[in-house]
Amino acid sequence: MDEAPGLSDQYRTASPWPVFIALGIPISELGLLFGLFPLAVGGLLLFGGSVVGILKESGYVASTIRAVTALAVIFFAFGAGLAFTDIALVTRGYAVIAAAILLVVGGVVFELFVREQRQTF
Amino acid sequence: MEVNGQLALTVLMGVFLIAVAAWLARVEDWRSYTPLAGGGTVGGTAEQYVSEEKPSGVIRWLTTVDHKDIGMLYGAYALVAFAVGGLMVVLMRIELADPSMTLISNTFYNSLLTSHGITMLFLFGTPIIAAFSNYFIPLLIGADDMAFPRINAIAFWLLPPAALLIWAGFFPIPDVIPAQTAWTMYTPLSAGVGSGNQMNAGVDLMLLGLHLSGVSATMGAINFIATIFTERNEKVSWANLDIFSWTILTQSGLILFAFPLLGSAIVMLLLDRNFGTMFFSVDGGAILWQHLFWFFGHPEVYILVLPPMGIVSLVLPRFAGRRLFGFKFVVYSTLAIGVLSFGVWAHHMFATGIDPRLRASFMAVSLAIAIPSAVKTFNWITTMWNGKIRLTTPMLFCIGFVSNFIIGGVTGVFLASIPVDLVLHDTYYVVGHFHYIVMGAIAFAGFAGLYYWFPIYTGRMYQVTLGKWHFWLSMVGTNLTFFAMILLGYGGMPRRYATYLPQFATLHQVATVGALILLVGQIIFVWNFVQSWLEGREVQDGDPWDLADDDLVTAEWTWFERKLETAVTDGGEDETELATDGGQTVDDTDADAESADDA
Ligand code: HEM
Ligand SMILES: [Cu+2]
Repeated sequence: MDEAPGLSDQYRTASPWPVFIALGIPISELGLLFGLFPLAVGGLLLFGGSVVGILKESGYVASTIRAVTALAVIFFAFGAGLAFTDIALVTRGYAVIAAAILLVVGGVVFELFVREQRQTF
Repeated sequence: MEVNGQLALTVLMGVFLIAVAAWLARVEDWRSYTPLAGGGTVGGTAEQYVSEEKPSGVIRWLTTVDHKDIGMLYGAYALVAFAVGGLMVVLMRIELADPSMTLISNTFYNSLLTSHGITMLFLFGTPIIAAFSNYFIPLLIGADDMAFPRINAIAFWLLPPAALLIWAGFFPIPDVIPAQTAWTMYTPLSAGVGSGNQMNAGVDLMLLGLHLSGVSATMGAINFIATIFTERNEKVSWANLDIFSWTILTQSGLILFAFPLLGSAIVMLLLDRNFGTMFFSVDGGAILWQHLFWFFGHPEVYILVLPPMGIVSLVLPRFAGRRLFGFKFVVYSTLAIGVLSFGVWAHHMFATGIDPRLRASFMAVSLAIAIPSAVKTFNWITTMWNGKIRLTTPMLFCIGFVSNFIIGGVTGVFLASIPVDLVLHDTYYVVGHFHYIVMGAIAFAGFAGLYYWFPIYTGRMYQVTLGKWHFWLSMVGTNLTFFAMILLGYGGMPRRYATYLPQFATLHQVATVGALILLVGQIIFVWNFVQSWLEGREVQDGDPWDLADDDLVTAEWTWFERKLETAVTDGGEDETELATDGGQTVDDTDADAESADDA
């Protein structure tokens, strides 16, 4: 700060992801707590997608698809834990598993189509 | 019906996600940044270019990761929450103007009571502190930004959903009613046991919101610890780290140990309520909750009071014309309070029938914690002693802080003594005790900071006379309201009731009058704050408080001075602000007249 006041004004100024991470958490929590399947899936997708987005933006991961897969595996394990063990929260478990699968699908779609398009301009 | 509901939700969720994706696609096109972790190995290379400017308008605020912007967001959020919590309690105080149930129902009173407490502690107290720390810690320690700017943004954005969830019971949602558990959420009431209505989803929503605010606070704390440890300028050593950073560092440590515990306890409670676990319904479950809650709860009160103490320790010497007396001991006492605050929690449980030997040890530590608190108080007083005191508005609030903190602290010491507590527990005396601290001290320090740094974050000066009105109305209102409560407690008036015996009427009316005086003061504050922000005199001088005269300038003012000098080349600000900053002639007489007014 001493050398260049106002430096932080010109420096990593904005990121679109934090808002959506912060929205994804409560939406998925609400869905899982009250057993609202669509909210749980949607919230987890929002959360997972934004986490991957922010990780990539800040350069912590190199490949979208690998980050998505890693996150999906964690979701899947958690969902399976809910659905297939003695905890037996079956609907909620399936919601998490569904989110895991959709996350991977979304990641693949992004990799195959969206990113290609982006790079053309 | 059920299927239709699910279908509607699915469609809604789907549309929402698509909207988000579409918005992101657009944002990603104009968005610009430098990757923080410096990897530069990201796949979509076309997207990487250094930004010269923040985006404009609402999008700037939604996407910012700049610590100053986030500080402003925290501040705005906290002041909105302060207004909400304040209006809630005005309603309650009006209801309490007469002994019987008149204006609002008893259940609605209980709902307001619960929300007022949680709003003030978690949605006003913690965020207003985060506002100052986000804005000023990086400036004070010479860092470019926080260690994790994006985490910082996430921590803030968790708070608006938290507020919506905490207040959800008041919204017109079918079948959802507000929680009436009080902020301590004691089981079995909060577990929904019995014939009451606390099994309602409104309580679950409130618990979720509280949990979310805890996640936010924890993220912020990790960020501050990392920032203060790793981002300091080479010239800032531990030996000359400023007092505010010390208190934030200590506070963050407390948050790190206290909030995750609250989070876990809340999850356990949610499991009890919704999934048939029995953490708090087996034998001893109620006491278990109290232990868990207060193990968090007592450190929480120091989480809330340490940074305000830091603000006062920073601001008060500037207007006493001398350095903080016994700086080292103020730091040591901060650390001592931080450690001791984890050893006193059961002083909230003296009346529960826990083992008397345990009780005695908690009494001992509670009395001991008064010592470092007193050390600070003496240091503030000694700093002012024979000083060159300038009674500016921030200074008045600092002196008010010290005065109210003494009353709040001394009443606390009495409560820490078991025999006294057994008489006064669960009376208005306790309410008076902690409000002297949360309103009389914490909120006062918040105002001191808001006025002191007003020129930095607005570029303008507030209206001095209105500032003084705000102080005096707040000071008189606080003491009227809460001293009346202390007396009510001596008289045996129990806390948390919407109605009372006629013999308490006079003191309750005094307290209500005090609360209304407070309300008038805060309306003046809002007016002054908003109007001065929009139309106040522009500050042309990087040292509006003339700190240089006593050689008391701190880093954030140096930064501000340079910012004023380099305003034209500073690419980060809004265009409009730039134009006016650069386009106006320097008017030093104006600024001088202002500070002379305030002196
Ligand atoms: C000087 C040190 C202090 C001591 C010895 C002390 C002691 C106590 C004791 C013994 C109680 C329990 C009273 C009861 O319920 O019977 C209490 C309550 C409380 N104190 Fe303090 N206190 C001190 C400072 C503070 C500070 C600095 C704060 C706030 C930042 C604070 C906030 C509270 C709150 C919120 C309660 C009420 C909790 C509730 O039951 O809702 N105290 N204090
Ligand atoms: Cu305590």
